[in-house]
Amino acid sequence: MEQTPVLKVEDIRKRFGEKEILKGVSLEINRGDIKAIIGPSGGGKSTLLHCINFLTLFDAGRVFLNGEEIDHTDRRRLYAYRQKVGMIFQDFNLFDHLSALQNVQIGLVRVKKIPKARARERAVAELERVGLKEHMDKYPAELSGGQKQRVSIARALAMDPEVMLLDEPTSALDPELVGEVHAVIKRLAAGGMTMVLVTHEIAFAGSLAREILFMDEGVILEKGPPQEILYGAKRERTREFCDKIIHFHHKDNG
Amino acid sequence: MFLRQEVAPAMIRGVWMSIRLIVPSAVFGLAIGIITGTLRVYGHSVLRAIANVYVTFFRGFPLLVQLYLWYFGLARFGIYFSPYTAAVIGFSLCSGAYHSEYIRGALLSIKDGQMLGAQSLGFSRTQALVSIILPQAVRRALPGCGNELIYLIKYSSLAYMVTCIELTGEAKILASLYFKYMEMFLIAGAIYLLLVSIATWLLNNAEDWLAVPGFEPPRR
Repeated sequence: MEQTPVLKVEDIRKRFGEKEILKGVSLEINRGDIKAIIGPSGGGKSTLLHCINFLTLFDAGRVFLNGEEIDHTDRRRLYAYRQKVGMIFQDFNLFDHLSALQNVQIGLVRVKKIPKARARERAVAELERVGLKEHMDKYPAELSGGQKQRVSIARALAMDPEVMLLDEPTSALDPELVGEVHAVIKRLAAGGMTMVLVTHEIAFAGSLAREILFMDEGVILEKGPPQEILYGAKRERTREFCDKIIHFHHKDNG
Repeated sequence: MFLRQEVAPAMIRGVWMSIRLIVPSAVFGLAIGIITGTLRVYGHSVLRAIANVYVTFFRGFPLLVQLYLWYFGLARFGIYFSPYTAAVIGFSLCSGAYHSEYIRGALLSIKDGQMLGAQSLGFSRTQALVSIILPQAVRRALPGCGNELIYLIKYSSLAYMVTCIELTGEAKILASLYFKYMEMFLIAGAIYLLLVSIATWLLNNAEDWLAVPGFEPPRR
């Protein structure tokens, strides 16, 4: 029997004024699977993730969770859907006036309506999972970028998502802080979390994902297993991009 | 003798009336300011337009003219307010218009990401506004709103012009009765200064109490 994908995106189109950012993008992901999306800036990767979560409303296309189409005009259904789809942003978007603990707790209390004491327990547990229990009373202004991103991952995990969308989770970080965030994401992967990861970290994407999607100018140009996309792409455009970024990566490390 | 028998009771009566004017006006004014400020940034277009019109008029008309309209003007249409009610309505609506400017500015300074972060967790827009955006905006707006509260203490003296006898009114009556203008108004002025000092102290405490790292009060 064929498995129903956790998340399915069908022919999404989005235009901002004259510019068509997404020209019909489709994507589906099964439970426990990890897909990485790579490609040049401005190619529509972030917009795609925002559209999947309806943070950006698209002009055409459909989104399904466990086979059920999401109608974003049904507010209640949309809010329930968003809890099931964890979103990690490039610049964290932690709530600046709340401590790390409160950042994780507030969604549980306000959205899931869980009593404060139990929400607190859960929040502490999630922060412990990302190694930040001892920093739980600090405010975002007192945390490093890496710590902030780990709090934001804990915050998303507390909502019990079925799939996580990660939008360049490490691109705003100083190089020495990237490792700690990658370690947390790897642990999620090992735990079987379903993920769609947009990244420029080719090596990380290659080691984590079973499939890499190359996206440029609003379409998915090519997709396949990491080795194939990174080192033997069929399309000229994909090869060019991967060569450049792999060289850059080696130079950076050598 | 004169001080104890005439001045002290009148001033106490006056201060009490002033406080009865200031406190509710401050509370209503701030509430109106937060609501209209929020509507002006996040409201639907009709509500936004209404809020903008409100602010235009209530910041544009002199407060004294507004008080005359509430007290004398509406009487022509059979709507009678007591002097006290007319003054509180006038102060609250005028103060709210000013507060809404500070709140609006603070709301505009909050990054979009805060709303996105909240929505991505399943918050509705209203929930996100109440639990995430406004708590930050109010902290940012506090110095400006505090300033408006200080102004309110002083413009409460205009209530006298619609026959609500508060501190300035009592001082004026005694002053003309005994022809001691300098003395009485200096005393009234000193009492206003005292009220303002207390308010300033309270506001500073509120700022400290609400302060979190990243939202420290400006250095004093």
